[in-house]
Amino acid sequence: MDLFDKFAALTTQYASIVEAGADPFGVCMDDIRSATEAVVGGQDVILAGTNNYLGLTFDPACIRAAQETLSRAGTGTTGSRIANGTYSAHRLLEQELADFFACTSAMVFPTGYQANLGIISGLAGPEDYILIDAHCHASIYDGCRLSGATVIRFRHNSPADLDQRLSRLGGGDTNKLVIVEGLYSMFGDIAPVDEFAAVKNKHGAYLCVDEAHSVGVYGDTGRGVAEAANASADVDFIVGTFSKSLGSIGGFCVSSHPKFDLLRLASRPYMFTASLSPANVASVRTALQQIRIRPELRRNLWQNAAALHSGLSDLGFSLGAGVSPIIAVQMPSREAAVDFWNRLFRKGVYVNLALPPGTPNSSSLLRCSVLAAHRPDQIEQIRRAFEEVGIETGIIDKSQPARLAQAAQ
Amino acid sequence: MQNDVEPIFQRTCALLQPFNPRGIEISPDTDITGDLEIDSVAVLDLIMEVEDEYGISLPMNLISEIRTVGDLVRAIHQIAGAK
Repeated sequence: MDLFDKFAALTTQYASIVEAGADPFGVCMDDIRSATEAVVGGQDVILAGTNNYLGLTFDPACIRAAQETLSRAGTGTTGSRIANGTYSAHRLLEQELADFFACTSAMVFPTGYQANLGIISGLAGPEDYILIDAHCHASIYDGCRLSGATVIRFRHNSPADLDQRLSRLGGGDTNKLVIVEGLYSMFGDIAPVDEFAAVKNKHGAYLCVDEAHSVGVYGDTGRGVAEAANASADVDFIVGTFSKSLGSIGGFCVSSHPKFDLLRLASRPYMFTASLSPANVASVRTALQQIRIRPELRRNLWQNAAALHSGLSDLGFSLGAGVSPIIAVQMPSREAAVDFWNRLFRKGVYVNLALPPGTPNSSSLLRCSVLAAHRPDQIEQIRRAFEEVGIETGIIDKSQPARLAQAAQ
Repeated sequence: MQNDVEPIFQRTCALLQPFNPRGIEISPDTDITGDLEIDSVAVLDLIMEVEDEYGISLPMNLISEIRTVGDLVRAIHQIAGAK
């Protein structure tokens, strides 16, 4: 008997992936040159598999703010928010986030994962119900588990299914928290937040929307998918992260619930961890300003997203959803996905390899993400790599790509 | 299996067939993820089918205790019976 015996199946599966070429889950960036370029294993690669949608990781203003703060406030806080880890900048960031989302309160966490853990387990307890979209992220599942609440899954992006499952629970004097995401990270599809809001209102439930991938990307002011659907007023809690469009690390939740700040004294993942480092806080505050003052970032992002989406779709690839910065290229099998990923990588294009059970519907995907910072020639290089590998592997038909594209639509 | 759970067992077997490409004989002792070709996410999708088939709620908290087909059948029987 060995503690690691339970991973026997995982070990076999992992070995078969690594056998096929490079290790897709052990990629190491030897040198990161910009938001879109890195050196991996001595080779130059274009990054088409990050979450750096606005390309702000190398934004000069964000870097400057972090550098100045680093010199002034030091490398870390060494303490929890409820002990010595609250600096005035943490409070200011929370105020600025609340203002950005037109809410009354905000809480920040050291990662997006912990934001979901802290908010879900703080809000819901063993007496409450949580209803989650079937495609929700692992951090939402883990938050649910930590809460001890009764957890029901509903069919992905189906307000009618949510309605039915809420009805099955009956009326009664119980709290019900509904959780959906704005933009789903694997397929790149978005939730009908306005329709979910109508269902939650009908049943007197609460609605929490995880806008991790959609902040800075959707909505007139970049608040996310709820804003784009004109449904912000009906969303009770918005969770998000600093590690995607905001180019740093950390997570947050905003709300206008009058008692929201009680979670500071009740949420274990908030209380029992060190707070964000001062330099992180500084770069996030600057990134929020950049989103406000530079709407052209969003315009570039969407132009690039449309270009790569139509490029891949015209080649005849089957894509997970309509145009968004996340473009999921569906592969016929796990083996085909691993092989395709390796061939792209050798051509200097890095995308995310996503395999079941980490994906919905047991899909094997090559998840591409498009950034505002990609240049047109980089988008073309990514498209061309897909074309070449698609033909080499027979996944697309060289002679009639346009016809295939039509058939897929 | 007792007589009143037999119909539930039969319906559950029918729902599990898509995940049984090798065509093994499903018994109450069949380990759902161990013996059938179904990953942990697909099990959760299967549970939604079961919920709809019987008009019940099978919370995820309960699912962690379900290992075999017999465990699932007993859970359905108990919850559908209590409704």
